[in-house]
Amino acid sequence: MKILVCITHVPDTTSRIAFTDGDTKFDKNGVQFIIGPYDDYALARAVELKEQSGGSITVLNVGEAETEPTIRKALAIGADDAIRINAFPEDALFVAKQIAAVAKDGGFDLILMGRESIDFNGGQVHGMVGELLGIPSVSPVMTLDIDGDTAKISREIEGGKEYMELPLPFVAGCQEPIAEWKIPNMRGIMSARTKPLEVKDPTGDAPKTKVSKFELPPAKGDVKLVDPDNMDELVNLLKNEAKVI
Amino acid sequence: MKYYDPQTLAFLLNDVHKLEDLLKKERFAGFDKQSIDLLLDAVKDFSDSSLYPFVKEMDEKPCFFKDGKVIVHDQFGPIFQKAGEMELIGAFMDEKDGGMQLPLLVFNALYFIMEAANNHVTGYLGLTAGAANLIVNFGTEELKKKYVSKMLEMKWGGTMCLTEPQAGSSLSDITSSAKPTDDGTYSIKGQKIFISASDHQFSDNFIHLVLARVDGAPAGTKGVSLFLVPQYRVNADGSLGDYNHVDVVGEFEKLGQRGYCTNHMAFGDSGESIGYLVGEENKGLTYMFQMMNEARIASGRMGTGIASAAYYASLQYAKERPQGRKRQSSGKKDPSEEQTLIINHPDVKRMLLHQKAIVEGSLSLVLECARYVDMQMVSEGEEKNNYHLLTEILTPIAKTYPSEAGKEAVDLGLQVLGGYGYMMDFILQQYLRDIRIISIYEGTTGIQSLDLLGRKVTMMEGAALKLLAGEIESTIKMAMSKNELKSHAMSLGEGAKLIETCLAHLMPHAMKGNHERYLADATIFMDLFSTVVIGWQWLKIGIASLDQDAAFKQSKLHTMDYFYKYEMSRCKGLQKTICDDSEITIKMEAEMF
Repeated sequence: MKILVCITHVPDTTSRIAFTDGDTKFDKNGVQFIIGPYDDYALARAVELKEQSGGSITVLNVGEAETEPTIRKALAIGADDAIRINAFPEDALFVAKQIAAVAKDGGFDLILMGRESIDFNGGQVHGMVGELLGIPSVSPVMTLDIDGDTAKISREIEGGKEYMELPLPFVAGCQEPIAEWKIPNMRGIMSARTKPLEVKDPTGDAPKTKVSKFELPPAKGDVKLVDPDNMDELVNLLKNEAKVI
Repeated sequence: MKYYDPQTLAFLLNDVHKLEDLLKKERFAGFDKQSIDLLLDAVKDFSDSSLYPFVKEMDEKPCFFKDGKVIVHDQFGPIFQKAGEMELIGAFMDEKDGGMQLPLLVFNALYFIMEAANNHVTGYLGLTAGAANLIVNFGTEELKKKYVSKMLEMKWGGTMCLTEPQAGSSLSDITSSAKPTDDGTYSIKGQKIFISASDHQFSDNFIHLVLARVDGAPAGTKGVSLFLVPQYRVNADGSLGDYNHVDVVGEFEKLGQRGYCTNHMAFGDSGESIGYLVGEENKGLTYMFQMMNEARIASGRMGTGIASAAYYASLQYAKERPQGRKRQSSGKKDPSEEQTLIINHPDVKRMLLHQKAIVEGSLSLVLECARYVDMQMVSEGEEKNNYHLLTEILTPIAKTYPSEAGKEAVDLGLQVLGGYGYMMDFILQQYLRDIRIISIYEGTTGIQSLDLLGRKVTMMEGAALKLLAGEIESTIKMAMSKNELKSHAMSLGEGAKLIETCLAHLMPHAMKGNHERYLADATIFMDLFSTVVIGWQWLKIGIASLDQDAAFKQSKLHTMDYFYKYEMSRCKGLQKTICDDSEITIKMEAEMF
């Protein structure tokens, strides 16, 4: 089984988010970057599938040179080789085209990624890759098992779960509990140094969208505690101050 | 949840202790900076997900003894398995022996992270690693082959068995016996107490390294030998054989570290306990001291880890808890103003600064010791011996300062929380109970102080002391050229001179044979000496911080200023006490109490 796992390089979930250059650029100062948590689930499941039935895992990231430590971590966790498309992931279509260009002639049985990144949270790339390659795309995939040339999956839908079977190859946007995140061991970390990491130039047109400004959500207001016996005060606050009733 | 600062740890490794220079050595060629970063990150992930979430529960649901077996918290099973899979047990050992040749500098950083997350866990791992390393260094090929790999996988636990009920810290008085048998093994008999990590439900076998006397051996420490005594005998093919009659008599209920079991063991009581000699007869204590010295530095590291966790817990509280108001210029407070956060009160800042200064200074010292051991491994001849001597003189300090000052730091952490700090709902009370043992483990503060003054400063005619003085002097020289550090460099020089003054005053007592007077205030001497050593580490931190970004630099320089103003200033008083010949403690007769 040949698996392509696409990973994003995103700020740690505990990072303080700030912007520079007139709120047009993300302030990376002091920020720790990680593999996108949903991508990390996809990678963990790919490693399990490889352990079960052999094969190989290629990791793909669209990003500039600073993403290499994140890619090395994916190699330490269990990927065999990596490709970095040397470009900033400006928009979803641009990223999807880069992935599709790599996957087109790569002979991959599975293309796994997170259901969305946790920086821009677009959740569009897996669908676009499926469309560009002319293969199915499913998301959010919560379980994934392979039986020969067929995959059995379950995914979350409004109000419940859906169980599906589909032929390989296909694209899956993954989320928990598809697998547990894997922490690399020391031997994996040491061997990641010598695993191949190919850097490629981007293909196709430049991204068509451009961020004009970022804005943080308004700060949360103070909490007001209301005596449980004073319902009139609660109603008054909800009606006149919070304006929710 | 924050229990250590990854940025400070990386700074200490890379900028203060020059990890990259170490990685250029052939022994460590398997690693580069990026792989070390990944490793630190991996251990943080492991600690965040598997260690920290259980630290309070391991205290609340402590290990217990039932039907001859010690039962520990359920989470230890997955932790041991994962630690084995991550190859964290003997990572510093040679590749040929199953290790990864990871620098001890990094190994100690990894264990510091784990200890800050959960100090109930690492003793099980560290003792197993130490025991495996002892077998590798002094055991026969057969012993290595049979025991080490399972220990490094954390499938079998390892321990060191020194203390006996009648002997306590006095190892010359141990009475456990080893009777030679016809097949070259020994029949071991005796009782050992305070044996940590010596039984639980998650290991198939325990490999005890036991000090005992062969029949007819000389009295005192010169007649002590070291034996490997497995709980279950191991067959030639590596499978487990018969029970080796290593019985757990009971588990001690403790004030702290209640998830980390400490047991009373009996060898040869219920049947024959077969032991295998490690190295040569009567040299056991020398061998054991390899493990003991590692364990002493590890104890200091553990104290640092607990103090770090307490510091960040109290810092978080201080940043969230509003109480009181700032005084206006009139000296009065305006009750209509909103309450200020307690971190804005100078005395709370003092308590936080004190903790920060102790935690970061201690961590730097522990890492310095680890780097010296690494350098010892990769150098030859005189250089190797110099690093050995530096490690020797700093080991009692690296054990004592983080455990004594760390205790004080955790106490202040609890104080920051006020009444809540005393409540079981908050973790500070647990950290205070947990850290209390560190100044007792592996030789109490009294014993470390006797070791420092009675042995280490005089060893090889003061060679170790001279080398350390040279290291301190070179840091002073470097700092003298920096305006921000000049005054502290001078203070450090004065501190070093105070040590010389004390020794010049005490030495004549020893020369005249009045050893009791020479050593009576060894603990006070340790206080002075270790404060100067931590001052040296802070000056090194100060030098390295000058190249860092403004906010980080300011934080480090300000904490260094605190240490010099509030701690280094104590040195003169300590010197005065040490040089005072009134012999208050010696002259206090037992009946006068």
